[in-house]
Amino acid sequence: MKTILLAAVAVPLLAACNPSAPPDAYDVSKMDLKPAPAKVSAERNKGAFAEGAALSMGAELKKLDPSPVKTVRLDTTHRVIEIAPGVKFSAWTFGNQVPGPTVRARVGDRIKFIMTNRSDEPAPVPQLVAAPMMHSMDFHAAMVSPQDKYRSIAPGQTIEFEFTANYPGIFMYHCGTPMILEHIASGMYGAVIVEPRGGYPTKADREYVVIQSEFYVKPSPGKQKVDGAPLYVLDGERLRAAQPTHTVFNGVHNGMVKQPLAAKPGERVRMFVLNVGPSKTSSFHVVGTIFDRVWIEGNPDNQMRGMQTVLLGSSNAAIVEYLIPEEGAYIMVDHHFANASQGAIGLVSTAAKPPAQDLEHHNMPASATPTEPDAVAGKLAFESKCLACHSMGQGKKLGPDLAGVTKQRDTGWLTRWLKSPEEMLKTDQHAKAMLKEYNNIPMPNQSLTDAEIKQFIKYFQWYDAQPAGSVKAQAAGH
Amino acid sequence: MRLAIAAAGFLLSLPALACGYCVEDKIAATYDHAVITRALAAGRHVVFFHVDGAAVGRSALEQAASGRGIEKGSARISPDALTLALVFDPRLVSLVELNAQLDRKLAKHKASFLPLRVMERPADLKTVKR
Repeated sequence: MKTILLAAVAVPLLAACNPSAPPDAYDVSKMDLKPAPAKVSAERNKGAFAEGAALSMGAELKKLDPSPVKTVRLDTTHRVIEIAPGVKFSAWTFGNQVPGPTVRARVGDRIKFIMTNRSDEPAPVPQLVAAPMMHSMDFHAAMVSPQDKYRSIAPGQTIEFEFTANYPGIFMYHCGTPMILEHIASGMYGAVIVEPRGGYPTKADREYVVIQSEFYVKPSPGKQKVDGAPLYVLDGERLRAAQPTHTVFNGVHNGMVKQPLAAKPGERVRMFVLNVGPSKTSSFHVVGTIFDRVWIEGNPDNQMRGMQTVLLGSSNAAIVEYLIPEEGAYIMVDHHFANASQGAIGLVSTAAKPPAQDLEHHNMPASATPTEPDAVAGKLAFESKCLACHSMGQGKKLGPDLAGVTKQRDTGWLTRWLKSPEEMLKTDQHAKAMLKEYNNIPMPNQSLTDAEIKQFIKYFQWYDAQPAGSVKAQAAGH
Repeated sequence: MRLAIAAAGFLLSLPALACGYCVEDKIAATYDHAVITRALAAGRHVVFFHVDGAAVGRSALEQAASGRGIEKGSARISPDALTLALVFDPRLVSLVELNAQLDRKLAKHKASFLPLRVMERPADLKTVKR
């Protein structure tokens, strides 16, 4: 017993004395915990909104810039962005884009950050963007005094500060000015990737960043238009109730369906995934493969193997690495399918442009889109909920092709049908005939609200009003 | 010493918010760019006050934010952030006089105004020296 106790004490002591033991990567005595005070000035930047060799502007990540000092500029702006077809949203940004550019660094690197609040700069159509306001920057990658570095600055002011990346990981950055919820939901977020000092333990063929976030929008009360389409603004009620209208990857509803990320069979893909929220979790999953490695929070010391899904709370992140086994389009989804149905879908494809029928349970955009808000909402809902059983112009599936439905049935009938199909199947002769035609598979009651039913019908009416051939037919393949 | 006590009292009286703690966040809560731009162009100044002491409702703050040198309709109030911003004409009233004038109005509520920042030029939030 004594021997066991002695061994228990001696082994760690000997290990601590072993000169060949690897250095502690988290030795706090070697971390920078004394950054210099921030500087605020009235000097306005008039150049690019985002600058720095360490920045990647899209999903494809640039290689690590070898310089030990990364100078990064991310100015704040107010502008209109398109978050889904026909949904032009009055956003607030870092670097004039949503999400903001991704910063890439390595443990020990110094980040020299500079930001001008340019929310007061003239927009092409001023009344479409929010009034100038104070903004700030909160880097989760930094260890600094928030009162000093993360202070809000007024329009026209510039703040500069520095910090050292002490820990490896994927870290969120966001505006920290109250109400923070509104600033994040309006688009003010992005990612900082900090590699371990010695790099990652594996070699990846492709590196991508995927940032999940929610939008909460409504048509502007003033009914303003942008290029003929309605302007959407933040819906405060939905925001506070955590009921998003869109959940997206990299800022766009189904964005990486239209522009898939490339990979070849046999390649190892390293994906840096950040869930911004602000209020929902993400169950990130890639259909058709298994995560060989998952590094929770982007730190290889937090490793898991052989995972199907990684759960990320708001501002949580992970690096997922996986192999592309064969030719195909591998579907990234938030496996909370309510979120996926709001647009959190993307593809990693071995083909440059995968055909629409490669999609599983999902949709492809039409060549023309409605602009009236109810019809836009109806189209998005249709694409999310109905394409498994119906098509628009591609013929029968489990249920009828709905192209031309408003010419066959009036609004009252469609409303009753969508509201309570089971009641209609008992009483309505057309409903009964349809059930028979479609192998007695009943239309399920989707528990739609009156507003949602109106949106569906508006979309069907819009579709049926288009000239023949002007709208691309829609159907999900299997 | 008085300044240190005032600062400590100010920090202790701030609402226990995880964020919105910083002085600049309080200013952000009442920052109205249109009002500020107009005021500075007319040679007026904008001051941001922390409301110190007992809880004071919006209506009491609105009533307090009027008087000599104060631009009518310029007050911006955030009861949550305990902040009041207003435009004043420095040719008619100094900041010290303005502060005293406002404090007299809030005395019955057992509260007072602590000036945080003043804007005399665009993009320049100047710390108020006391």
